[in-house]
Amino acid sequence: MPERPPRSIKILATLPLNILLNGVLIVPFAIMIYLAFVKWSPLMGINWWEAPFIAISNFQRALSDSRFISALSRTALFVSVVVPLEFILGLVVAYILQSEFIGKKYLVALLIYPLMLPPVVVATVFYLFFQPYGPVNNIFLYYIMGKRALDIYWFLDPTLALVTIIIADVWQWTPFMFLILYSGLSAVPKRLVEAAEVLGASKWRIFWTIRLPLIKPLILIALVLRSLEALKVFDYVYVMTGGGPGTATESISLYIYRLAILYQDISYAAAVSIIVLLIIMIISRVAIYFFIEKR
Amino acid sequence: MKLSILPKIIIACVIVVFILWTLTPVLWMISLSFKPYGEWRTPHLLPQKPTIDNYRMLFTPQALQIFIAYTAIIEPVTGPLTRSLIVSITATIIAVIIGFFTAYGASRYNTPGPFVLFFTLLTRMLPPATFLTPIMVYFTTLGLFDNIAGLILLYSATTITYAIWIMKGFIDAIPVEWEEAALMEGAKPLEVLFKVVLPIARPGLVVSGLFIFLMAWTELLFALVLTNVNAVTLPVQISKYVTAVGALWGTQAAIALLGSIIPVIIGYMIQRHLVTGFTFGLVRA
Repeated sequence: MPERPPRSIKILATLPLNILLNGVLIVPFAIMIYLAFVKWSPLMGINWWEAPFIAISNFQRALSDSRFISALSRTALFVSVVVPLEFILGLVVAYILQSEFIGKKYLVALLIYPLMLPPVVVATVFYLFFQPYGPVNNIFLYYIMGKRALDIYWFLDPTLALVTIIIADVWQWTPFMFLILYSGLSAVPKRLVEAAEVLGASKWRIFWTIRLPLIKPLILIALVLRSLEALKVFDYVYVMTGGGPGTATESISLYIYRLAILYQDISYAAAVSIIVLLIIMIISRVAIYFFIEKR
Repeated sequence: MKLSILPKIIIACVIVVFILWTLTPVLWMISLSFKPYGEWRTPHLLPQKPTIDNYRMLFTPQALQIFIAYTAIIEPVTGPLTRSLIVSITATIIAVIIGFFTAYGASRYNTPGPFVLFFTLLTRMLPPATFLTPIMVYFTTLGLFDNIAGLILLYSATTITYAIWIMKGFIDAIPVEWEEAALMEGAKPLEVLFKVVLPIARPGLVVSGLFIFLMAWTELLFALVLTNVNAVTLPVQISKYVTAVGALWGTQAAIALLGSIIPVIIGYMIQRHLVTGFTFGLVRA
């Protein structure tokens, strides 16, 4: 193949993409930076390009906004709970399913359907699941606690409401971890494991010193992608609790949504978005340094 | 792996628990969607008097008017359903076509360069909520608010990452020699692209297309922000039934199930490629 692309190919390979990305994403990005430094809301009755410049007041306001800080830390807490949970659950099931039995192929197919569902559907399912007279209270807990179970209001208690969101996320995305780890573990050469067995290594030892190190790159990819995905959490919170009770389950995505839609505080929402973007970029940069470049 | 009897029992238990954990919520939803009003809050697992009223309510929602004041919500589900189909299919076609050209350039000639490719990944990895404010302002200024054209543009721009990266994997696997042979025979570069590469890369087109459809079909946040009445998509309609209508359990279950049929079918069609899709081709199953 020639080193330099022919003209026709070059145009096709770059122009449409550039038009789409510039037109739909880059221009809004520029608008966001502009908005963060002005004071504008649709309620002010002027066009956004005529808004008064207020320098960094939006950012100063964000740093002393306790609701913003707690939404941020709540999202961080959420990520640090769901990702390890999904990873461990997924790893256990993926490891167990390494043994051969009849119908395994169908079982694997059956177990992964949650990740095909729209998150809004999963949110609806668990919203109904945790209603006061829903099946969790009325069937599962009823057997354990009796009549008292009917008095548990999952969405009215700050901690329990967060738990329901965590359960929904773990339910939908454990199959993702499972699927990645399962395909990784299945690809570990059989003869390595057999050789270790012949040498008398225990199952536990084989798992820790042979299987796990071999799929380490895969584990890193899975953890990074899932963490970034979990940081976005919106659908479950919006549908199941609406951020409530009060603001006790508000995630950072929901807070930005509320600022922009409910409070129409557009320029402040833009400043908050930029801060969130910066934080995530710095964290991922540090993570990439520690996990990938340092070794 | 050979196992003695006790670990086998433990393993069987773990698998059974995991199967129950995975299946119960949706099985219960299916059961709920066929229960009449009086049975929603009872602990029966199966509907005692099965009915399809919940589904009928979705298509002719006059009965809902007693409960709610919003007119947007009681639109029959056929509207959002068709809109979701139009938006998802059109966005998929745009993303796949542009993604195919880009992936070919990226695979063979190092266009459009690592920075742009990285940028496409970035748009997919950062929280979409951070782009919500300017997108809303920009689209409203352009008159794309509450307009399915806006959603189509936005979805094709945000899902093109998958088209590029999945298809790049497929095109990388095609031997360059075939193209060189065609070039030697005197074929033009464009002919090589359309007559040699395109037919072989067709599975890649299909897989990335179905995956993008899945992503566009399930998107809620931007659909929520950019629509009001005329462009409401199915995820928005589902969320409205929960957040604005209130205690209509059976109907909520019915619309949620209705919205999952197509994605689950598509998900199983590309089951072998789901890992590849979700990891942008970084992991091959």
